[in-house]
Amino acid sequence: MARDLAIDLGTANTLVYMKGRGIVLNEPSVIALNRQTGEVLATGREAWQMIGRTPGYIVAVRPLRGGAITDFEITERMIRLLLQRVGVSRFTRPKVVICVPSAITEVERRAVTDAARRAGAADANLIEQPMAAAIGADLPIDEPVGNMVIDIGGGTSETAVISLGGIVALEAVRVGSFDIDAAIQNYVRREHGIAIGERTAEEIKVAIGSADPTHDENQAEVRGRDLMTGLPKTVLLTPEEVRFAIEDVVSSIVSSVIRCLSKAPPELSQDFLVRGMYLVGGGGLLRGLAERIERETEVPVRMSNVPLEAVVLGAGHVIEHYEALRSMFMGARH
Amino acid sequence: MTVLIVVIAVVVVVVVAWLITRSRRTDDGVEGFRRQIDALSSDARRPTIDRGLGEEESEEADGSGGTDAQGDADDGA
Repeated sequence: MARDLAIDLGTANTLVYMKGRGIVLNEPSVIALNRQTGEVLATGREAWQMIGRTPGYIVAVRPLRGGAITDFEITERMIRLLLQRVGVSRFTRPKVVICVPSAITEVERRAVTDAARRAGAADANLIEQPMAAAIGADLPIDEPVGNMVIDIGGGTSETAVISLGGIVALEAVRVGSFDIDAAIQNYVRREHGIAIGERTAEEIKVAIGSADPTHDENQAEVRGRDLMTGLPKTVLLTPEEVRFAIEDVVSSIVSSVIRCLSKAPPELSQDFLVRGMYLVGGGGLLRGLAERIERETEVPVRMSNVPLEAVVLGAGHVIEHYEALRSMFMGARH
Repeated sequence: MTVLIVVIAVVVVVVVAWLITRSRRTDDGVEGFRRQIDALSSDARRPTIDRGLGEEESEEADGSGGTDAQGDADDGA
Protein backbone atom coordinates (compact mmCIF):
# COMPACT_ATOMS: atom_id res chain seq x y z
CA MET A 1 0.00 0.00 0.00
CA ALA A 2 1.59 3.29 -1.11
CA ARG A 3 1.75 6.17 1.30
CA ASP A 4 0.22 9.36 -0.06
CA LEU A 5 2.60 12.11 -1.11
CA ALA A 6 2.85 15.89 -1.21
CA ILE A 7 5.18 17.34 -3.83
CA ASP A 8 6.58 20.86 -4.03
CA LEU A 9 7.37 20.84 -7.73
CA GLY A 10 9.48 23.96 -7.83
CA THR A 11 11.42 25.54 -10.66
CA ALA A 12 14.59 25.19 -8.60
CA ASN A 13 14.02 22.26 -6.23
CA THR A 14 11.57 19.43 -5.79
CA LEU A 15 10.65 18.31 -2.28
CA VAL A 16 8.53 15.28 -1.45
CA TYR A 17 6.64 14.74 1.81
CA MET A 18 5.39 11.23 2.55
CA LYS A 19 2.31 10.82 4.71
CA GLY A 20 3.26 9.68 8.21
CA ARG A 21 6.99 10.00 7.52
CA GLY A 22 7.90 13.59 6.67
CA ILE A 23 10.20 15.04 3.99
CA VAL A 24 11.78 12.11 2.17
CA LEU A 25 13.33 13.85 -0.83
CA ASN A 26 14.84 17.29 -1.49
CA GLU A 27 16.62 17.60 -4.82
CA PRO A 28 17.16 20.16 -7.60
CA SER A 29 14.51 19.95 -10.36
CA VAL A 30 17.03 18.92 -12.98
CA ILE A 31 17.23 15.95 -15.31
CA ALA A 32 20.17 14.89 -17.50
CA LEU A 33 19.39 13.13 -20.76
CA ASN A 34 21.29 11.48 -23.55
CA ARG A 35 20.50 13.80 -26.45
CA GLN A 36 20.68 11.00 -29.01
CA THR A 37 18.76 8.20 -27.32
CA GLY A 38 16.58 10.25 -24.95
CA GLU A 39 17.71 7.99 -22.12
CA VAL A 40 17.68 9.51 -18.61
CA LEU A 41 21.25 9.61 -17.24
CA ALA A 42 20.72 11.39 -13.93
CA THR A 43 18.20 13.38 -11.92
CA GLY A 44 18.31 15.72 -8.98
CA ARG A 45 21.59 16.72 -7.40
CA GLU A 46 23.65 14.52 -9.70
CA ALA A 47 22.09 16.14 -12.78
CA TRP A 48 22.43 19.62 -11.26
CA GLN A 49 26.19 19.14 -11.00
CA MET A 50 26.26 18.51 -14.76
CA ILE A 51 24.63 21.85 -15.76
CA GLY A 52 26.91 23.66 -18.21
CA ARG A 53 29.59 20.97 -17.90
CA THR A 54 28.31 18.24 -20.20
CA PRO A 55 29.72 16.84 -23.44
CA GLY A 56 27.67 17.40 -26.57
CA TYR A 57 25.58 14.26 -26.31
CA ILE A 58 24.34 14.98 -22.78
CA VAL A 59 21.88 17.72 -21.91
CA ALA A 60 21.06 18.72 -18.33
CA VAL A 61 17.80 20.66 -18.22
CA ARG A 62 15.29 22.14 -15.81
CA PRO A 63 11.91 21.04 -17.17
CA LEU A 64 10.08 23.81 -15.30
CA ARG A 65 10.37 27.53 -15.91
CA GLY A 66 8.40 30.19 -14.09
CA GLY A 67 6.72 27.41 -12.12
CA ALA A 68 5.23 25.97 -15.29
CA ILE A 69 6.10 22.87 -17.27
CA THR A 70 8.10 23.77 -20.34
CA ASP A 71 8.64 20.19 -21.45
CA PHE A 72 5.75 17.92 -20.59
CA GLU A 73 7.44 14.65 -21.51
CA ILE A 74 10.62 15.35 -19.55
CA THR A 75 8.64 16.55 -16.52
CA GLU A 76 6.59 13.37 -16.57
CA ARG A 77 9.77 11.29 -16.65
CA MET A 78 11.27 13.31 -13.82
CA ILE A 79 8.15 12.88 -11.67
CA ARG A 80 8.08 9.15 -12.48
CA LEU A 81 11.69 8.76 -11.35
CA LEU A 82 11.05 10.80 -8.20
CA LEU A 83 8.04 8.65 -7.33
CA GLN A 84 10.09 5.50 -7.95
CA ARG A 85 12.78 6.78 -5.61
CA VAL A 86 10.26 7.18 -2.79
CA GLY A 87 8.86 3.70 -3.31
CA VAL A 88 5.96 4.17 -5.73
CA SER A 89 5.62 1.26 -8.15
CA ARG A 90 3.13 0.08 -10.77
CA PHE A 91 1.18 -1.69 -8.04
CA THR A 92 1.26 1.04 -5.39
CA ARG A 93 -0.41 4.17 -6.65
CA PRO A 94 -0.65 6.94 -4.02
CA LYS A 95 -2.80 10.04 -3.87
CA VAL A 96 -0.64 13.06 -4.61
CA VAL A 97 -0.99 16.74 -3.72
CA ILE A 98 1.22 19.04 -5.81
CA CYS A 99 2.04 22.66 -5.01
CA VAL A 100 1.96 25.00 -7.99
CA PRO A 101 2.10 28.77 -8.48
CA SER A 102 -1.35 30.31 -8.09
CA ALA A 103 -1.01 32.14 -11.40
CA ILE A 104 -0.69 29.08 -13.62
CA THR A 105 -3.20 28.71 -16.41
CA GLU A 106 -5.82 25.99 -16.77
CA VAL A 107 -3.69 24.32 -19.44
CA GLU A 108 -0.64 24.35 -17.17
CA ARG A 109 -2.68 22.91 -14.29
CA ARG A 110 -3.84 20.07 -16.46
CA ALA A 111 -0.28 19.46 -17.64
CA VAL A 112 0.89 19.02 -14.02
CA THR A 113 -1.95 16.71 -12.96
CA ASP A 114 -1.67 14.65 -16.16
CA ALA A 115 2.09 14.32 -15.69
CA ALA A 116 1.58 13.09 -12.09
CA ARG A 117 -1.15 10.61 -13.06
CA ARG A 118 0.88 9.21 -15.95
CA ALA A 119 3.87 8.95 -13.63
CA GLY A 120 1.95 6.68 -11.25
CA ALA A 121 -0.34 8.77 -9.04
CA ALA A 122 -3.83 7.37 -8.40
CA ASP A 123 -5.19 10.86 -7.93
CA ALA A 124 -3.47 14.21 -8.30
CA ASN A 125 -4.71 17.48 -6.81
CA LEU A 126 -3.13 20.91 -6.81
CA ILE A 127 -2.74 23.50 -4.07
CA GLU A 128 -1.51 27.09 -4.40
CA GLN A 129 2.05 27.61 -3.19
CA PRO A 130 1.34 30.65 -0.97
CA MET A 131 -1.46 28.78 0.80
CA ALA A 132 0.79 25.76 1.36
CA ALA A 133 3.59 28.08 2.50
CA ALA A 134 1.31 29.76 5.06
CA ILE A 135 0.27 26.37 6.45
CA GLY A 136 3.88 25.14 6.57
CA ALA A 137 5.18 28.37 8.11
CA ASP A 138 2.71 27.82 10.96
CA LEU A 139 0.87 31.12 10.48
CA PRO A 140 -2.48 31.32 12.33
CA ILE A 141 -4.51 31.07 9.14
CA ASP A 142 -7.37 29.35 11.00
CA GLU A 143 -8.13 32.66 12.74
CA PRO A 144 -9.98 35.69 11.33
CA VAL A 145 -6.80 37.77 11.16
CA GLY A 146 -4.66 38.98 8.27
CA ASN A 147 -1.71 36.72 7.52
CA MET A 148 0.58 37.82 4.74
CA VAL A 149 3.06 35.49 3.12
CA ILE A 150 5.63 36.33 0.44
CA ASP A 151 6.90 33.24 -1.37
CA ILE A 152 9.91 33.92 -3.61
CA GLY A 153 10.77 30.84 -5.61
CA GLY A 154 13.05 30.09 -8.53
CA GLY A 155 10.65 31.24 -11.22
CA THR A 156 7.76 32.98 -9.46
CA SER A 157 7.16 35.39 -6.59
CA GLU A 158 3.76 35.31 -4.95
CA THR A 159 2.30 37.39 -2.18
CA ALA A 160 -0.96 36.38 -0.53
CA VAL A 161 -3.19 37.63 2.23
CA ILE A 162 -4.81 34.69 4.01
CA SER A 163 -7.54 34.64 6.63
CA LEU A 164 -9.83 31.86 7.89
CA GLY A 165 -8.23 29.23 5.69
CA GLY A 166 -8.72 31.11 2.42
CA ILE A 167 -6.83 33.49 0.15
CA VAL A 168 -8.24 37.01 0.43
CA ALA A 169 -5.82 38.83 -1.88
CA LEU A 170 -3.12 37.55 -4.16
CA GLU A 171 -0.44 39.00 -6.39
CA ALA A 172 1.96 36.94 -8.46
CA VAL A 173 4.76 37.74 -10.87
CA ARG A 174 6.73 35.29 -12.96
CA VAL A 175 10.01 36.57 -11.62
CA GLY A 176 12.20 34.72 -9.15
CA SER A 177 15.72 33.89 -8.10
CA PHE A 178 16.61 32.46 -11.53
CA ASP A 179 15.91 35.89 -13.00
CA ILE A 180 18.38 37.31 -10.47
CA ASP A 181 20.98 34.79 -11.71
CA ALA A 182 20.21 35.71 -15.34
CA ALA A 183 20.53 39.43 -14.53
CA ILE A 184 23.99 38.80 -13.00
CA GLN A 185 25.02 36.76 -16.07
CA ASN A 186 23.92 39.57 -18.40
CA TYR A 187 25.65 42.25 -16.35
CA VAL A 188 29.00 40.43 -16.25
CA ARG A 189 28.77 39.76 -19.98
CA ARG A 190 27.85 43.38 -20.79
CA GLU A 191 30.11 45.28 -18.38
CA HIS A 192 33.11 42.96 -18.05
CA GLY A 193 32.99 41.12 -21.38
CA ILE A 194 32.99 37.73 -19.68
CA ALA A 195 30.65 34.79 -20.22
CA ILE A 196 29.70 32.91 -17.06
CA GLY A 197 27.38 29.95 -16.56
CA GLU A 198 24.15 29.95 -14.58
CA ARG A 199 25.73 28.02 -11.72
CA THR A 200 28.51 30.62 -11.38
CA ALA A 201 25.90 33.39 -11.46
CA GLU A 202 24.02 31.64 -8.66
CA GLU A 203 27.25 31.32 -6.68
CA ILE A 204 27.91 35.07 -7.09
CA LYS A 205 24.39 35.80 -5.84
CA VAL A 206 24.87 33.61 -2.78
CA ALA A 207 28.35 35.01 -2.06
CA ILE A 208 27.88 38.77 -2.50
CA GLY A 209 24.34 39.38 -3.79
CA SER A 210 22.05 41.70 -1.84
CA ALA A 211 18.92 43.76 -2.34
CA ASP A 212 19.97 46.46 0.12
CA PRO A 213 23.42 47.47 1.45
CA THR A 214 24.56 45.22 4.28
CA HIS A 215 27.28 45.70 6.93
CA ASP A 216 29.54 42.82 5.79
CA GLU A 217 30.26 43.36 2.12
CA ASN A 218 33.13 41.74 0.21
CA GLN A 219 34.20 41.66 -3.37
CA ALA A 220 34.21 38.42 -5.30
CA GLU A 221 36.58 37.01 -7.89
CA VAL A 222 34.62 35.83 -10.89
CA ARG A 223 36.11 33.43 -13.38
CA GLY A 224 34.68 33.05 -16.85
CA ARG A 225 35.49 33.09 -20.57
CA ASP A 226 36.63 36.36 -22.15
CA LEU A 227 34.25 37.10 -25.01
CA MET A 228 36.97 38.85 -27.07
CA THR A 229 39.87 36.42 -26.72
CA GLY A 230 38.03 33.24 -25.76
CA LEU A 231 40.51 32.70 -22.93
CA PRO A 232 39.71 32.13 -19.25
CA LYS A 233 39.70 35.42 -17.33
CA THR A 234 39.16 36.59 -13.75
CA VAL A 235 37.53 39.88 -12.75
CA LEU A 236 36.55 41.44 -9.42
CA LEU A 237 32.86 42.07 -8.82
CA THR A 238 31.58 44.38 -6.08
CA PRO A 239 28.30 44.06 -4.14
CA GLU A 240 27.25 47.48 -5.53
CA GLU A 241 27.59 46.13 -9.06
CA VAL A 242 25.50 43.07 -8.22
CA ARG A 243 22.82 45.26 -6.60
CA PHE A 244 22.74 47.39 -9.73
CA ALA A 245 22.53 44.29 -11.94
CA ILE A 246 19.57 42.78 -10.08
CA GLU A 247 17.71 46.03 -9.32
CA ASP A 248 14.99 45.49 -11.94
CA VAL A 249 14.16 42.02 -10.63
CA VAL A 250 14.15 43.14 -6.99
CA SER A 251 11.96 46.16 -7.84
CA SER A 252 9.51 43.90 -9.63
CA ILE A 253 9.20 41.67 -6.55
CA VAL A 254 8.81 44.62 -4.17
CA SER A 255 6.18 46.23 -6.44
CA SER A 256 4.23 42.99 -6.44
CA VAL A 257 4.20 42.97 -2.61
CA ILE A 258 2.99 46.58 -2.58
CA ARG A 259 0.19 45.74 -5.05
CA CYS A 260 -0.93 42.86 -2.83
CA LEU A 261 -0.96 45.12 0.24
CA SER A 262 -3.14 47.58 -1.63
CA LYS A 263 -5.64 44.83 -2.46
CA ALA A 264 -6.09 43.75 1.17
CA PRO A 265 -9.33 44.73 2.94
CA PRO A 266 -8.74 47.51 5.53
CA GLU A 267 -9.74 45.28 8.47
CA LEU A 268 -6.93 42.88 7.60
CA SER A 269 -4.44 45.61 6.60
CA GLN A 270 -4.13 46.83 10.17
CA ASP A 271 -3.13 43.32 11.28
CA PHE A 272 0.00 43.43 9.11
CA LEU A 273 1.42 46.36 11.05
CA VAL A 274 1.35 44.24 14.20
CA ARG A 275 1.90 40.74 12.84
CA GLY A 276 4.18 41.61 9.92
CA MET A 277 4.66 39.74 6.65
CA TYR A 278 6.39 36.37 6.42
CA LEU A 279 9.04 35.67 3.82
CA VAL A 280 9.48 32.10 2.53
CA GLY A 281 11.18 30.44 -0.44
CA GLY A 282 14.82 30.26 -1.47
CA GLY A 283 14.66 33.69 -3.13
CA GLY A 284 13.73 35.20 0.21
CA LEU A 285 17.21 34.32 1.48
CA LEU A 286 18.76 37.06 -0.68
CA ARG A 287 20.59 39.34 1.74
CA GLY A 288 18.85 42.64 2.43
CA LEU A 289 15.60 41.66 0.70
CA ALA A 290 13.54 41.58 3.90
CA GLU A 291 14.98 44.97 4.89
CA ARG A 292 14.27 46.40 1.43
CA ILE A 293 10.63 45.23 1.48
CA GLU A 294 10.25 46.52 5.03
CA ARG A 295 11.70 49.91 4.07
CA GLU A 296 9.46 50.33 1.04
CA THR A 297 6.22 49.06 2.60
CA GLU A 298 6.73 50.24 6.18
CA VAL A 299 5.42 46.86 7.33
CA PRO A 300 7.63 44.54 9.42
CA VAL A 301 9.01 41.57 7.47
CA ARG A 302 9.88 38.33 9.25
CA MET A 303 11.73 35.34 7.91
CA SER A 304 9.98 32.00 8.30
CA ASN A 305 11.78 29.40 10.43
CA VAL A 306 11.50 26.97 7.53
CA PRO A 307 11.89 29.11 4.40
CA LEU A 308 12.87 26.27 2.06
CA GLU A 309 10.52 23.60 3.44
CA ALA A 310 7.41 25.66 4.28
CA VAL A 311 5.60 24.88 1.02
CA VAL A 312 6.08 21.11 1.12
CA LEU A 313 5.29 21.00 4.85
CA GLY A 314 2.02 22.82 4.15
CA ALA A 315 1.14 20.42 1.35
CA GLY A 316 2.21 17.56 3.62
CA HIS A 317 -0.27 18.75 6.22
CA VAL A 318 -3.00 18.73 3.58
CA ILE A 319 -2.14 15.13 2.66
CA GLU A 320 -2.21 14.19 6.38
CA HIS A 321 -5.73 15.69 6.69
CA TYR A 322 -6.86 14.90 3.16
CA GLU A 323 -10.61 14.70 3.74
CA ALA A 324 -10.88 17.74 6.02
CA LEU A 325 -8.74 19.93 3.73
CA ARG A 326 -9.77 18.76 0.28
CA SER A 327 -11.78 21.95 -0.17
CA MET A 328 -8.43 23.77 -0.38
CA PHE A 329 -7.52 22.13 -3.67
CA MET A 330 -7.37 24.41 -6.70
CA GLY A 331 -10.71 24.29 -8.45
CA ALA A 332 -12.54 22.87 -5.40
CA ARG A 333 -13.69 26.28 -4.19
CA HIS A 334 -15.14 27.58 -7.45
CA MET B 1 -58.43 7.30 -7.35
CA THR B 2 -55.66 4.82 -6.55
CA VAL B 3 -53.44 6.43 -9.15
CA LEU B 4 -54.01 9.85 -7.57
CA ILE B 5 -53.07 8.53 -4.12
CA VAL B 6 -49.90 6.94 -5.52
CA VAL B 7 -48.93 10.18 -7.29
CA ILE B 8 -49.53 12.24 -4.12
CA ALA B 9 -47.52 9.72 -2.08
CA VAL B 10 -44.62 9.88 -4.53
CA VAL B 11 -44.69 13.69 -4.52
CA VAL B 12 -44.71 13.75 -0.70
CA VAL B 13 -41.79 11.31 -0.55
CA VAL B 14 -39.79 13.37 -3.08
CA VAL B 15 -40.46 16.63 -1.21
CA VAL B 16 -39.50 15.11 2.16
CA ALA B 17 -36.35 13.58 0.65
CA TRP B 18 -35.41 16.95 -0.89
CA LEU B 19 -35.94 18.76 2.43
CA ILE B 20 -33.80 16.22 4.31
CA THR B 21 -31.03 16.41 1.70
CA ARG B 22 -31.10 20.20 1.76
CA SER B 23 -30.80 20.44 5.53
CA ARG B 24 -28.03 17.83 5.53
CA ARG B 25 -26.14 19.86 2.91
CA THR B 26 -26.39 22.96 5.11
CA ASP B 27 -25.07 20.94 8.05
CA ASP B 28 -22.32 19.50 5.84
CA GLY B 29 -21.21 23.04 4.95
CA VAL B 30 -20.95 24.07 8.59
CA GLU B 31 -19.36 20.77 9.61
CA GLY B 32 -16.95 20.80 6.69
CA PHE B 33 -15.81 24.34 7.40
CA ARG B 34 -15.36 23.53 11.09
CA ARG B 35 -13.32 20.43 10.22
CA GLN B 36 -11.18 22.48 7.84
CA ILE B 37 -10.51 25.21 10.42
CA ASP B 38 -9.75 22.58 13.10
CA ALA B 39 -7.34 20.84 10.74
CA LEU B 40 -5.58 24.17 10.12
CA SER B 41 -5.09 24.98 13.79
CA SER B 42 -1.55 25.30 15.07
CA ASP B 43 -2.02 22.24 17.32
CA ALA B 44 -3.09 20.11 14.36
CA ARG B 45 -0.16 21.32 12.27
CA ARG B 46 2.53 20.84 14.89
CA PRO B 47 2.98 17.04 14.35
CA THR B 48 3.30 17.50 10.57
CA ILE B 49 5.93 20.23 10.91
CA ASP B 50 7.89 18.32 13.57
CA ARG B 51 7.74 15.11 11.54
CA GLY B 52 8.76 16.87 8.34
CA LEU B 53 11.76 18.60 9.80
CA GLY B 54 12.82 15.58 11.86
CA GLU B 55 13.01 13.38 8.77
CA GLU B 56 15.00 15.92 6.81
CA GLU B 57 17.45 16.58 9.60
CA SER B 58 18.16 12.87 9.95
CA GLU B 59 18.62 12.62 6.15
CA GLU B 60 21.14 15.47 6.26
CA ALA B 61 22.93 13.82 9.13
CA ASP B 62 23.33 10.72 6.95
CA GLY B 63 25.07 12.89 4.36
CA SER B 64 22.49 12.03 1.73
CA GLY B 65 20.45 15.24 1.83
CA GLY B 66 20.67 19.02 1.91
CA THR B 67 22.32 21.43 -0.46
CA ASP B 68 25.88 22.72 -0.61
CA ALA B 69 25.16 26.04 -2.25
CA GLN B 70 27.36 28.02 0.15
CA GLY B 71 30.29 25.70 -0.38
CA ASP B 72 29.94 25.95 -4.13
CA ALA B 73 29.63 29.70 -3.88
CA ASP B 74 33.02 29.90 -2.23
CA ASP B 75 34.54 27.81 -4.98
CA GLY B 76 33.14 29.71 -7.88
CA ALA B 77 32.75 33.31 -6.92
